[in-house]
Amino acid sequence: MEGFFEAIKGFFVSFGDKFSQNFIEKNRWQYLTNGLATTLIITVCAVILGFILGFIVAVVRSTHDKTGKMKAGNFFAHIYLTVIRGTPVMVQLLIIYYVIFQSININKIFCAILAFGINSGAYVAEIVRSGIMSIDNGQMEAGRSLGLNYRQTMLSIILPQAFKNVLPALANEFIVLLKETSIAGYIAITDLTRAGDIIQSQTYEAFMPLLAVAAIYLVMVVGLTRLVRLLERRLAKNDKR
Amino acid sequence: MINVSHLYKSFGELAVLEDISETIKKGEKVVIIGPSGSGKSTFLRCLNLMETPTSGTITFDGEDITSCHGKELDCLRRRMGMVFQHFNLFPHLTIRRNITLAPVKLGLMSKDEANETADRLLKRVGLPDKADSYPNMLSGGQKQRIAIARSLAMNPEVMLFDEPTSALDPEMVGEVLDLMKQLAEEGMTMVVVTHEMGFAREVASRVLFMADGKILEQNPPEEFFKNPSNPRLKDFLSKVI
Ligand SMILES: Nc1ncnc2c1ncn2[C@@H]1O[C@H](COP(=O)(O)OP(=O)(O)O)[C@@H](O)[C@H]1O
Ligand SMILES: [Mg+2]
Repeated sequence: MEGFFEAIKGFFVSFGDKFSQNFIEKNRWQYLTNGLATTLIITVCAVILGFILGFIVAVVRSTHDKTGKMKAGNFFAHIYLTVIRGTPVMVQLLIIYYVIFQSININKIFCAILAFGINSGAYVAEIVRSGIMSIDNGQMEAGRSLGLNYRQTMLSIILPQAFKNVLPALANEFIVLLKETSIAGYIAITDLTRAGDIIQSQTYEAFMPLLAVAAIYLVMVVGLTRLVRLLERRLAKNDKR
Repeated sequence: MINVSHLYKSFGELAVLEDISETIKKGEKVVIIGPSGSGKSTFLRCLNLMETPTSGTITFDGEDITSCHGKELDCLRRRMGMVFQHFNLFPHLTIRRNITLAPVKLGLMSKDEANETADRLLKRVGLPDKADSYPNMLSGGQKQRIAIARSLAMNPEVMLFDEPTSALDPEMVGEVLDLMKQLAEEGMTMVVVTHEMGFAREVASRVLFMADGKILEQNPPEEFFKNPSNPRLKDFLSKVI
């Protein structure tokens, strides 16, 4: 019995020591907070870029599906979707950094935002397109019969409804992206994941920093998932109005 | 007012309208009846060019509209109201916004003017207290009356009705027909596809019978129902009355 308590006590003492060594000493916790900030900046900017790209591509694709117009636009959209969804995001990141912007001395974070935004746009596009296609044709007809043109009907009647229908799916895309940015370290960006690596390289201790990194991701994802669920329930309630 | 000459419409191989010629005068109330699939909706939708005729010409106030596209087409549609079987209200907008959206977006009215118009029209269709409701809080009959109000907000010169009461529970048919009668009495030019023979008898200046994409017979209602000559029409009337 005695030995058992000793062991537990020993564990906590060494846990405390390790904690202080990995995070308190030399203010190493700052690696984590700075890394977290970088991760969040990349994620938020990439999501905005992805949404803009995704909406444009979705509108082009569904306009083509419904009216047969925008043939060229649809062709390029199709290539974009095929290439982006057919290759790993990490390869895309490396290509954008090492190939496309190789000669220019460009901000790495900007590169990451570009890569993740372009990648996310392809997934957002298909989400939004399914949202647009789910809206009854009668909505477009009603808008057009009132004299609104295609663009006006799309913007003020179809897209708001489509957006509402796919909001939970879009929020999930944000969560996926948050986790995907953990490969930003491959172009030497010190994001949250890389911050863990740096601490590990200084303290020769893997457990503590990786545990901390995982915990931070987990807290964010669980929190966001809760928000999405709340949102879904809110929207469902609105529909019963 | 509307002159249709040698109108043909086919969807791919399927010929839906075959050589229809017809004149609709200002203030006339034309009721179209006929078996389902005979091309009634398609004919109505050709009048405001929601469907593009395969050949033939349609003139509106002396102006050939079959060659219209883009802006001209949008302007033309403002002058023709359309009421659909399934109402096609905009579910994400309040009743007030359903009515004011097009006049405001198209710059025909200021927001205040449009709101006044909406209040006036809501009173007219007997739903003055629904301005801030959403469509799915209303009954079918109420929705259709709102849809009519939405069309009227554009001050149309003609109203096209495509089976406006077919999706309604029987007890709500009356309120919509009453509103349409009122419109007719006020002198609106109307083209109505319907199965309501009572309405045709009472309101129509002319009744047309369509089958297989042709107008097989037409007459003022009294003659039409008393002395049908076409065997298809006799057969049809014996089934519906
Ligand atoms: N957009 C379309 N594409 C292909 N076929 C159509 C389309 N709209 C209508 N049709 C066909 O045209 C025929 C006439 O349809 P419709 O005008 O709706 O008849 P009605 O209103 O008299 O019931 C039907 O056989 C229908 O299947
Ligand atoms: Mg029909």
